[in-house]
Amino acid sequence: MPSPHSSVLVVDDESSLRKALRTSLTASGFDVEEARSGEEALGSVQQHQFDLVLLDVSMPGMSGIDACRRIRGISPQAGIVMVTVRDQEDDKVRALEAGADDYVTKPFKLRELTARLRAVLRRTRMSDAVEPVVLRAGNLEMDLHERILRRNGEEIHLSPKEFDLLAFMMKNAGAPLTHVKLLRTVWGVEYGNELEYLRSYVRMLRKKIESDPSNPEYILTEPWLGYRFRDPSDPDSPRESAQDD
Amino acid sequence: MRDDELRACRSVAGGKLVIGDLDMGQQYLHGFAKSARYALIGSIAAILLAFSCFRIHLDFASVIPLYLLLVVFQSLTGDFRSSAVVAFVSTACLDLFFTEPLFSLRIDHPLNALALAGFILTSLVITRLVARVREEAKSAKLQKERLNRLYQLSQQLLVLDPEAPLGEDFLEPFRRLFGIRAMCIFEADSAEFHLVGDSKGELAVKTRDTYIRGTDVDDFNAHVSVRRLRTSGHLAGAIGFEGLEDPKETAGALTALTAALLERKIAFHTASAAAAAAQTEIYRSAMLDALAHEFKTPLATILAGVGGLREAGPLTAEQEGMADTVENEASRLGSLTSRLLRTARLDNEHIRPRLEVVDVTSVVAQLTKQYSTRSSDRAILLADGHEQVQALADPELIRLMLSQLIDNACKYSRPGSVVTIGVERQGEFVAIRVSNNGSSIPRKERKRIFERFYRGEDAKHSTSGSGLGLYVARKIALAHGGALDLEIDDRSERVTFCLKLPTTKDELQHALTA
Repeated sequence: MPSPHSSVLVVDDESSLRKALRTSLTASGFDVEEARSGEEALGSVQQHQFDLVLLDVSMPGMSGIDACRRIRGISPQAGIVMVTVRDQEDDKVRALEAGADDYVTKPFKLRELTARLRAVLRRTRMSDAVEPVVLRAGNLEMDLHERILRRNGEEIHLSPKEFDLLAFMMKNAGAPLTHVKLLRTVWGVEYGNELEYLRSYVRMLRKKIESDPSNPEYILTEPWLGYRFRDPSDPDSPRESAQDD
Repeated sequence: MRDDELRACRSVAGGKLVIGDLDMGQQYLHGFAKSARYALIGSIAAILLAFSCFRIHLDFASVIPLYLLLVVFQSLTGDFRSSAVVAFVSTACLDLFFTEPLFSLRIDHPLNALALAGFILTSLVITRLVARVREEAKSAKLQKERLNRLYQLSQQLLVLDPEAPLGEDFLEPFRRLFGIRAMCIFEADSAEFHLVGDSKGELAVKTRDTYIRGTDVDDFNAHVSVRRLRTSGHLAGAIGFEGLEDPKETAGALTALTAALLERKIAFHTASAAAAAAQTEIYRSAMLDALAHEFKTPLATILAGVGGLREAGPLTAEQEGMADTVENEASRLGSLTSRLLRTARLDNEHIRPRLEVVDVTSVVAQLTKQYSTRSSDRAILLADGHEQVQALADPELIRLMLSQLIDNACKYSRPGSVVTIGVERQGEFVAIRVSNNGSSIPRKERKRIFERFYRGEDAKHSTSGSGLGLYVARKIALAHGGALDLEIDDRSERVTFCLKLPTTKDELQHALTA
């Protein structure tokens, strides 16, 4: 459950959806405020400090992407979750590039939405804390100082790049990571289009850490966008990402 | 070309335009009669000159320039044959009346013989030169007139709407400017005739026959000339003229002009069709975006509402079940909307699969599980003995395509029947077969089932659909270098869609996983 003070600003031009979300999120323990447009949302963010902003991508007037970029400027610590409607990955990539922490695709189940909101909230709060030396997820334990990965206590050999890639993913557990972001962070700024490169590393990592690499539970594929590291012990991290069908 | 022009000029030497469709024999006779007439007049003038000069006792040296003048005048008619005759008659007159012995063709003095020889030679040269100059002037004039008329014609045709269909507006200027009795264009694409004027020589039939036979026709008796029309290097039809002057000279130019204008018409049509297609694509994309928004926002509201009910208070088991149903059905409708919209987008896009190594068997297993939990009145089973096969494919597109096939199998099979999905390696391909019983597809429809917007006769009445699903599914398969085929066992009424995808080659897979 979120802390009693977790506040959410719901930005959508559809009044019925805003109303349904206000009722449901309030029932789920959030303090909900509404805004009808990007412009109105900017005004609200300037006046109040929100923990989370749920922002529709396609709205008349200022687009959700523009609003996201400007909210990020005004309120850097707020967690932003974009609501996308298109199945194209472009919107999702643009949202993440504009500073969104995560996205949900319409139509979404309330449980899925609250799980995303809580995960984002936790990540934004964690980023203020001191970075831990040992990362844990499910059966995995990564010692960043010693550069050692253990699975069920057994050491697993990783190449330096595999280690860096997995470390970056584990540090951002639960967050969607675009191909470009992974390539640039782990390989360097001159990378960005070498998808096959990234895919082959992910394949190798899955072989080493997953019990069934063809049905992964740690490194999930975000279709046409990138990957998301999942901590199986986190109740807010469902295995099935918000895919169609 | 020059000889042709000269011949044409000769035929107008009488000052009256000769109808070009007289045949060669008639033309020759006509020219000969005219030359004879001129020769007779010139010869009489030469004899009269001889008598006159003889009477006033002019000597040989004084008379020669007068005869030269006569020959020059004669050659101004532009007719070489008559001028040559007059030159010879003049020589004879000079010999008879002005050289010794008089009244005899004999020449005593060698100097006189030389002078006469000089005279005849000079007159023939003058005659030839003058005739040629006249001929060329006439030819140039004719050519200029023809060019002028062609220019006027092209001017008049260019102001017509390039996209208007061929018709009287297009043909009338030809008739007016070239004095054609009738004119016909046969368009091969539409098999349409466009005829103006009053044809007496079955012009339309001859025009079409020219297209069919593929050779140009000149029928001088019927005064009909027909030429093939070519556009962009292809035979596009034929154009026929009845009563055209100088068909040999003019028909080619008129045909070339018509072909150029038809080419222009096609170019305009292509350009406007492309512009219309681009515009349609913009509307279509905007409409799909709007549809996505319009459909999914209410669904999101329903889901948020149901979630809220659950959160608001403890529900009874029955209420919880109802909430689950609403939630699942709304999610399913959302997925279906996504898939339909994606299919509609892929329909017009050039599909570029994002290839990666995909474990086909596990994708199929996941989908089978998903559909079997969802479908209560049909069993969806994974066939026995499926093997683990990997393919180089776009996993999202493969999921979309297989969902389409499984949906179709459910839609067109009887309730309670079994839909099976099998995975099998076949050489360099992996074959995924989705089969169902009990809705055989009529033979005549089998070939057309993958066509865009095609829907079977039965399907049209019994089930809903857009006619896009299989078309897009095959498009995706082809974009992967694979195939999607229909296999029907008529005896057991078993319908199978077989999707083939290239498996990962060992070396490629090695390179990807290295």
